[in-house]
Amino acid sequence: MNENEKKNILVKSGRIIDPENGKEFVSDIYIKEGIVAGIKENIKAGKDDIVKIDAKGCIVSPGFVDMHVHLRDPGFEDEETIETGALAAVKGGITTVACMPNTKPVIDSESLIKYILEKSQNAACRILPVAAMTRDLKGRDITEMGILSEAGAVGFSDDGKGVADSRVMYEIMRYSTQFGLPLILHEEDRFMSEGGLMHEGHYSSMLGLEGISGLSEDVMIARDIILARKSGARIHITHLSTRGGVEMIKKAKEEGLNITCDVTSHHLFFNDSYLTSFNTNFKVKPPIRSEEDRLALIGGVKEGVIDAIISDHAPHLDTEKNTTFKLASFGTIGLETLFAAAFSKLCGEEKMSIPRFINLITVSPARILGIDAGKIEMGKTANITVIDTEAEEEIKRESFISKSKNSAFIGQKLKGKIVCTISKGKLVYRSV
Amino acid sequence: MLGKKSIVDTDSLSLEDIKLILSNADSFLEISRRDVKKVPTLRGKTVINLFFEPSTRTKTSFEIAAKRLSADIINFSSSASSLKKGESIIDTLKTILSMKVDLIIIRHSDSGTVKMIDRFVDVPVINAGDGKYQHPTQALLDLYTIKKRFGRFEGLKVAIVGDFLDSRVARSDMDLFEKMGMEVTIVSPTMLLPEDYSKMKVKHRIDEVIEDTDILYMLRMQFERQDRKFYPSVMEYNRFLTLNMERLARMKSGSIVMHPGPVNRGIEITDEVMDVGGKLGEKIAIEEQVTYGVAIRMAILYLILG
Repeated sequence: MNENEKKNILVKSGRIIDPENGKEFVSDIYIKEGIVAGIKENIKAGKDDIVKIDAKGCIVSPGFVDMHVHLRDPGFEDEETIETGALAAVKGGITTVACMPNTKPVIDSESLIKYILEKSQNAACRILPVAAMTRDLKGRDITEMGILSEAGAVGFSDDGKGVADSRVMYEIMRYSTQFGLPLILHEEDRFMSEGGLMHEGHYSSMLGLEGISGLSEDVMIARDIILARKSGARIHITHLSTRGGVEMIKKAKEEGLNITCDVTSHHLFFNDSYLTSFNTNFKVKPPIRSEEDRLALIGGVKEGVIDAIISDHAPHLDTEKNTTFKLASFGTIGLETLFAAAFSKLCGEEKMSIPRFINLITVSPARILGIDAGKIEMGKTANITVIDTEAEEEIKRESFISKSKNSAFIGQKLKGKIVCTISKGKLVYRSV
Repeated sequence: MLGKKSIVDTDSLSLEDIKLILSNADSFLEISRRDVKKVPTLRGKTVINLFFEPSTRTKTSFEIAAKRLSADIINFSSSASSLKKGESIIDTLKTILSMKVDLIIIRHSDSGTVKMIDRFVDVPVINAGDGKYQHPTQALLDLYTIKKRFGRFEGLKVAIVGDFLDSRVARSDMDLFEKMGMEVTIVSPTMLLPEDYSKMKVKHRIDEVIEDTDILYMLRMQFERQDRKFYPSVMEYNRFLTLNMERLARMKSGSIVMHPGPVNRGIEITDEVMDVGGKLGEKIAIEEQVTYGVAIRMAILYLILG
């Protein structure tokens, strides 16, 4: 019998991480017909119909939650689909994905929320749609936020664009308080960033590439903090990239505002000196910023200012990247490297405790989205990731299973390898 | 011969390479002054002038340089906008490489494109200007002009005046000039400078440097091309940055004026200064730059292919 068809799974002798309580302990986990049926030492397994996973020396974590992913479906299925994106996610140990609405058409109606939910029924992991805040992401007319939240949206975002009009943003914030879902905010002053290709600083000047000032992000974060203070909205600043942003959010939190934020693994990993290669996979938005900003982001994670780590997985065809720096599209894929990239920096270099780090990719984003995920609990469907934290691997283009290959991490040596992923109660990925 | 076969940026040129190119230029300058301006050095070699951005001076200069060395040079011009995607740039290159060429000279409107191409092809590549990034042969001919005028580099004071932000010439010049021991000051308003210029020596008015400068290097100011950061007006420019007769007269003896060309008369340099004769006229080295440009490019082609 093929191991994927077997009904029961036994994960032996792993270091179980409980990110909610910041604890770890060695134990077995028994999964019976997809449901967590036992968490204790020395579980004796029956002979038949069981897959055994030897997790000795590995950590066993709740499946990861990536709250910011572009699945490109519908509309750009040549770059990624719900099906291929989910396969890439579970290869990265991710069992819950929130997908962004900048598809074609934009996810701004009930029928499109239903499309995503129905199409992801058979996907390898759980997929939850984030709906647009404004119709067609135009920044003008507010979407049917009530209908969309009842249909299953987990949040609202005009990711990729942002809302320039402060009046519209203020009304969105006020209206959102009726439904309790987070507003996931892409902070960019388009007038200021227009035409920019990389972070504005020493390297943009040296390379003759048009700059995107960190101020273009800071001014919008400042505006939205002011609007949130008045409206009482629950706001979540996504892909934070500047030192100024970290400082403002820290103060806003101290003040007691309902604000959270996340950072991508590539903003934690790279600084703008990498752009000297003119490698278009480093062309992302917000841009990879200076070392000073990167260190502030690392500090923000360690201090607890930053609540979650995301991939901002943004697939693009080779033809969109294999061109001059100016013409290339913005974005890097990230689902398959999210854990290893962030782990290498935060636990490898910065010596952060593993349960605290795992918290940022499990329970913390789950709490922001208000979903039940990121835990291993008796009687619940199993979503579990087993990781060999000692394994080191050089990232190669050929190793990606995402439909697109535009990874900024190609050529980097990363620590931490996903051994296997159990998603929706099934063993969906096992490394070779 | 050169340490590197391709010339993509000034940064990767070693001091030895620079000295070698400059010393070779002397003999090629002599050839250009002969009645029969041709030597058989590169007979049988094929060079492609691949220009994705319009150019008259640089293209012609390379063409003359190649022809004086008896290489076969073929011009291939294409506007970058008609080749929307880089895939087609690479396809274009594949086509050209299939015809077995020995060297490609490239100009492109996007920064970093020549570096990208150099990684992709296995014949030598010369950057004839890419976007706002680099224009190394211009910087070398500028250096040669200075060498011919002053006979030395160490300690010379250079002021580069104008739009630093958008200038590949300024980037390349500053790098090479500093490498040769010259003191470089940038004279530019805030919006035409990098966001953080704390590590550069910067002044905002030409009057602050005019009397104490050996080389006044005027950059092209293209008002019509400004798309992100706007300088207020030509009048404002004239007030603070233009070289006029009064300022020219205050320059110290032996000092010179350079410009990568073509000059926007009335913007960087006034009509009167451009047409001035006599003692003051001797300061203007702009035509020499063009003459020396051919010699420098002959030297480079020779050192790569010879």
